[in-house]
Amino acid sequence: MRKTNQVFRKSIGYIVLVLMLLIIIAPFFWMVDTSFKSNLDIGNFPPSFIPHPFTFYHYIRAFSFYNFGIYFRNSVVISIVATIVVLILASLASYAIARLPIRGKAPLMVMLLAISTFPEVAVISPLFLIMKNLNWLNSYQSLIIPYVAFNLPFAIWVMRTYFAGIPKELDEAARVDGAGIMTTLFRVIMPLATPGLFTGGVFTFVACWTEFLFALVFNSSTNYRTISVGIALFSGQFTIPYGTIFAGSTVAVLPIVILVLIFQKWVVAGLTAGAVKG
Amino acid sequence: MRRTHLERKYATAGYLMVSPALLVIALVTLFPIGYSIWMSLNSISSTYNGFQFSFNGLTNYSIVFSNAIFWQALLFTVIYAIVTVAVELVLGLLVALALNQPIKGRGLAIAVMLIPWTLITVISAQMWGYIYNGIYGVLNAILMSLHIIQSPVLWLGDPTLATIAMMIADIWKTTPFVTMILLAGLQLIPSDLYEAARIDGATGWRSFWSVTLPLLRPSIGLAALFRILQAFGLFDLPFVLTNGGPGTSTEPIAMLAYKAIFSDGNYGPGTAVAVATVGIVIILALVSLKALRTQVGEIE
Repeated sequence: MRKTNQVFRKSIGYIVLVLMLLIIIAPFFWMVDTSFKSNLDIGNFPPSFIPHPFTFYHYIRAFSFYNFGIYFRNSVVISIVATIVVLILASLASYAIARLPIRGKAPLMVMLLAISTFPEVAVISPLFLIMKNLNWLNSYQSLIIPYVAFNLPFAIWVMRTYFAGIPKELDEAARVDGAGIMTTLFRVIMPLATPGLFTGGVFTFVACWTEFLFALVFNSSTNYRTISVGIALFSGQFTIPYGTIFAGSTVAVLPIVILVLIFQKWVVAGLTAGAVKG
Repeated sequence: MRRTHLERKYATAGYLMVSPALLVIALVTLFPIGYSIWMSLNSISSTYNGFQFSFNGLTNYSIVFSNAIFWQALLFTVIYAIVTVAVELVLGLLVALALNQPIKGRGLAIAVMLIPWTLITVISAQMWGYIYNGIYGVLNAILMSLHIIQSPVLWLGDPTLATIAMMIADIWKTTPFVTMILLAGLQLIPSDLYEAARIDGATGWRSFWSVTLPLLRPSIGLAALFRILQAFGLFDLPFVLTNGGPGTSTEPIAMLAYKAIFSDGNYGPGTAVAVATVGIVIILALVSLKALRTQVGEIE
């Protein structure tokens, strides 16, 4: 009786799983499929499933004729610099919160949690005025600085959890050996907290790579556009040039999918961190 | 004596290490929020010499609150949040329960579920825009070949259909995220509780209602809170998929603020919309945090 029940439950599990995978993958398949079709083929109704002729035309066009190369460069530079700065500032802050005798730790952590729930639109108009007065519109720092600020709270929360899990005796042993605070942090503790760096790093990078509102408002000129703005504002004169949009999109999706699959374990750890703390 | 000296040294170092992060956060979030409130109390005009402020009290708020478009955007955002979060929780729970048993392909499923989360929302909006396209969209082709519809439908041309279409695109992208949080919560439930329930004669549905669901409430609450807060910042998806249309029927509150400020140059009223949004978000967060805490208290 119990055995059949289990088999029943498992088969339902498989059905749900296969359905879910199909539903997730189908739109992606359609996007990649379309990026290899000719413009004539894309405009056909009903659409064909196999590109005929199969062409790289849109990929070549996106990067040689249109500016996807520039958008890519901007996204890569901004996301990488912001992620590195977040990791450095978050390591320093979360180590101090986890280990050093400073006051007001609890209110600080609550404040960080509260800030991380604010929608971007709450600060968009003052930041725009400030950036404009500083002549920072259309620059790298106009996005790097807000991205650092908006991603620091989560990174500090995650890394503090990892630091708290490392035995205090290690710090004390290092101090007895005469190591200063920085030496202790970067030589002894950090190597043990690399999972925290991975989690904080991947979450920050994904958030920077996908951000849209700040990028749209602060960096509207072609030379400083990021991929998300480039893809959103990409339009033709009479029809939407889906072939080129999807060629650029496919290239934009690939690096991040690879990154997340490599760091899968730590991404899952980050997603579950909230649930564990509940 | 020496100990206190050392302690003080460590405390100073601690403050120095925390301050760069706090400085950046304060400059980019806390200060601008204060500045937003100040802007929302002024009439602001853009001139050759920069922006001219003149204090006008609550005028911007009375302009906003007496405008039907604001209430329409707020209502849209609330309905959108409730429907998408409810559907995502049900679907997410279903998938999480399916994954919370020793079945093959679990690792692969989790890997695939991470992909929509990493996807730039603007790309998924373009993707769904192409699927919904009224002239050559694949959705029309599929439904016509199944004889569900007779002729192509302009999915994004009708207020109700456009809203549903947008909700589906959102549910597709964020259900995996909800699933991951719920799965983590499920894995925290000790298996001996199910054993105990089984000995008491509770199996299947009974044990789901009396063990799984009550113990999963913190995770459900957390996922719901995350998603509702996100819904109040909803911007990227409608910007590309519908641009708020047809008319202003799919315009969420964040988009209303954006358009007022950057398309129409109404800095004061637009910022008032943004400040009102933050107010609503803070109230929601406080209420749900309190609800969450009492629920956790009940369980313990």
